[in-house]
Amino acid sequence: MSMDLVQIETDSSRSDETNIPQWGMAIDLDRCSGCEACVIACHAENNIPLSDETAASEGRTNHWLRIDRYYEGEFPDIKVKFRPVMCQQCDDAPCEPVCPVYATYQNEEGLNVQVYNRCVGTRYCANNCPYTVRFFNWYDPVWPEDLNLQLNPDVSVRPGGVMEKCTFCVQRIQRGKREASADGNDIADGDIQPACVQSCPAEAMVFGDLTDKNSKVSQWSQSGRSEQLLDELGTKPRVFYLEKGD
Amino acid sequence: MDRRNFFKLVGTASGGAITGACGKQGQELIPLLVSQEAIVPGTESWHPSVCGHCSAGCGTILRVMEAEREIEVQGEKVRERIAAVKKIEGNPLDPVSGGRLCGRGQAAVQGLYHPDRVRGPLRNNSGQKGNFEEVTWTTALEEVAEALSEAIQRDPASVVYLAEPGTGTRAVVVKRFLEAIGANSATTIGLGDFAVERQAAQMLYGSASLPGYEIQNATNVFSIGADFLGGWISPVLYARRFGHFRRGRSGIRGQLIHAESRFSQTAWSADRWLPVAPGGEHALALGIGYLLTQGGLKKNNTVAKVHDFFSAVDFPRAVKESGLNESQLKIAAEHLATAEVPLVVSGASIVQPNSVDAVLTASSLNVLLGNIGEVGGVCIDAGIDTFEDARPHFANLDQRLKNAEVVILDRVNPIHNFPGTNALLEGKIVISFASVLDESAHRANFVLPDHDNLETSAVVVPAVSGHSAINGSRAFVKPLHDTRATEEVLIELATKLDRKIMDYSSVTAFKDFFKAHNFADSDTTEEEFVSLAERSGGSWKESKVETSKSYPSFLPDLGSVKNTGLRNKYPYQFQVYPSIQFGFGSDSHLPWLQQLPDPTSSSMWGFPLEVDPVLAKRLHVVNGDAVRVTSSSGSIEAVIYVHPAAIPNVVSMAAGQGHAEYGRYASGKGGNPFELLDDSCEEKTGVPALGATFVVIEKLDRHHGLLQFTNNDREILHERM
Repeated sequence: MSMDLVQIETDSSRSDETNIPQWGMAIDLDRCSGCEACVIACHAENNIPLSDETAASEGRTNHWLRIDRYYEGEFPDIKVKFRPVMCQQCDDAPCEPVCPVYATYQNEEGLNVQVYNRCVGTRYCANNCPYTVRFFNWYDPVWPEDLNLQLNPDVSVRPGGVMEKCTFCVQRIQRGKREASADGNDIADGDIQPACVQSCPAEAMVFGDLTDKNSKVSQWSQSGRSEQLLDELGTKPRVFYLEKGD
Repeated sequence: MDRRNFFKLVGTASGGAITGACGKQGQELIPLLVSQEAIVPGTESWHPSVCGHCSAGCGTILRVMEAEREIEVQGEKVRERIAAVKKIEGNPLDPVSGGRLCGRGQAAVQGLYHPDRVRGPLRNNSGQKGNFEEVTWTTALEEVAEALSEAIQRDPASVVYLAEPGTGTRAVVVKRFLEAIGANSATTIGLGDFAVERQAAQMLYGSASLPGYEIQNATNVFSIGADFLGGWISPVLYARRFGHFRRGRSGIRGQLIHAESRFSQTAWSADRWLPVAPGGEHALALGIGYLLTQGGLKKNNTVAKVHDFFSAVDFPRAVKESGLNESQLKIAAEHLATAEVPLVVSGASIVQPNSVDAVLTASSLNVLLGNIGEVGGVCIDAGIDTFEDARPHFANLDQRLKNAEVVILDRVNPIHNFPGTNALLEGKIVISFASVLDESAHRANFVLPDHDNLETSAVVVPAVSGHSAINGSRAFVKPLHDTRATEEVLIELATKLDRKIMDYSSVTAFKDFFKAHNFADSDTTEEEFVSLAERSGGSWKESKVETSKSYPSFLPDLGSVKNTGLRNKYPYQFQVYPSIQFGFGSDSHLPWLQQLPDPTSSSMWGFPLEVDPVLAKRLHVVNGDAVRVTSSSGSIEAVIYVHPAAIPNVVSMAAGQGHAEYGRYASGKGGNPFELLDDSCEEKTGVPALGATFVVIEKLDRHHGLLQFTNNDREILHERM
């Protein structure tokens, strides 16, 4: 691993010529009902450690994907805004430059990657993430038998002392690429879906290649309703939120 | 797994093989059980199944891969290779789930692998609750058969079978068993059968099948009392339709107004929420109907007698009893009257004593709007009589239990949901089929543990699908423990009692479906049909039933105002609502769902009592304060959540927590709100009223703490340079 890893030019338009996909996600908040099917899908897919009441009371429950909720107005004219928030896979990610061991970096497909066996658990990255989507494993994970039988063999189980976060289901991306390659096909839009996107009953989430102008994620991200979370911080997130309203 | 890929698997599976990961040939798609030799390390296969966690009956597909499990053989621990379920997704071919699935359905895999599953039959002859000893199936079945035999000889009606509502292969076997021993039909006490909506449908459309609402094709939807995106009839189906309604059509964004006595999932997803008074839904529907008749309707083909009824409504009284103001009703009426495709969705997520009247009246608004059977209107689903089972008999539950000698509990936990039944079970022989010991199973004399849903074959009829549909398939993963399918147990018990009953397998169910729907006219043979249905996970045929349109000439008017006389002592109205995590409590044992932040309060591992900010101030309580909540029926401790959108003086609590017994993840988590409910029932069905109890709240001298994942209710806006 070299310093080059953290010096990669991270403008998502750079790959137009190289044909390397640039992954992104868009979420239509007008469709989202806050049902949290995506949260369970994420746990089922990614071997996220089980917590208990003690861990919860210490603020040590891991949810790579959470649903933020904010009430606006006063009763009876009150509304609530739900927003699924996961790692925003920032192009200028504040978590990356503070890692002393280069355990987190942006790969050539735009994913903000966490290398578990590099991580030494300084937690600087979590401190520097404005979205609070990074989670530290305070304990070694435990799955009482037979719950361990459900673990997804495509995803490594992280030990205590290691930082983790949403990967955009990188294992599904790798699988999609392998399958397309085996069939001699290009990856079609929608072929690769992170678990959260796949499960969403209201079809509020789409995932795909931002450099493919015909992909749903490209089209949604160009919508007049599209915004990025805390975009004023200049982090260049790859998750786009389509706000409610006409 | 998307539709295209799953269809490819099903379509190419006629030779018995499917394409697995990385282009490898996977296992046969439908072996009865995946044998150890057939497991290919690192290779996945997908199998169709059906979700049994609510009445929706979503078709699912299961990702199955190799796993190793430690077991004991002759005193030695050895590793066993098994086919393990890794993930559950929606079946892309199924018209209900469409390939999507809710959190509860996905968490079902933790039910299969739950560490507290009952591992074999248990007997308790000690007289002390929960003091079980392990016995063999032979012993257990002999003793249970003996107990049944003695009871039947005295009076077959003394055998009482309590079950969740069933519309599938299991219900048929239960029915055959009870008929064979001469007992009364099963008393179905599941709260999730929507008996109120069925009764209203029976009265309005002449069919107890739940009507389907074509939200996806409507432009303006007004929902009254139906939290269709939350814990109502078919949340995945309606969420899919809602997504399309909102943003699935070019240039059309569906508009939703929702009226409910709680700020539910549908309420917060709506463009406008009308905080109707608990029990005021009927008055609201009458008021809207009146305004529609006064303001002119787009369609002139409305039914005259329905029109006449609504035009004679006492409007000022309707407004008053709805708890809303006139302008709010006018906005809702205009929302419907001016719409290109209007639709009223009516239901009773929180049952009130007058809920059938409310649902019937609100449903009649669709008659007024002329959208029954129309695109974007109400679709009367084609029910399948073959699987029809007895529907809830809440009204005579107490009497039946009083006269019972043997009580059989099949996937129900009456002591949790109807705490009054605890005393009624005293002195009875209780037989439970529980997989994890809950309060009722803990009290049982025999526990004959059922297979998990994923270990057994099943076919069910979805509650609503827009199709003639059945979902299901055969079992394919080997049972983990020494459990038996309840159907198998009932057949064996019947044999021991010298009665003979036939099994009703998924294959037979598919064959019956084939015959019932005249597929025989097509080129498909019965064998091919069954084979395809098993590979696909069900069979679905688009169909609508023509209604007679002979709507009732009489609709319920507002009754006399009831004065409960309790308001002085118990000043706050109390509501229990089904949670999106646990429904009415049957999924509380699953750890993923326990640690899932509640969408309302972000609480985990326990549900708070939701109170409005003004009441909180008056009670001098803040988030996390402990309180005692007391009604005329019971008292529980609870933790406060100050809900910014709670209706003043109406306090609510989600159902599902407060289990005394239900495995390590659910036991001892807060109070059980069902203990507070008084004996109010829905007047026409006997369904327990979930929102008609009054309580008093007393602050306790301690801060219990509210476990929240995020505790900010309001966005914190920073001043930035």
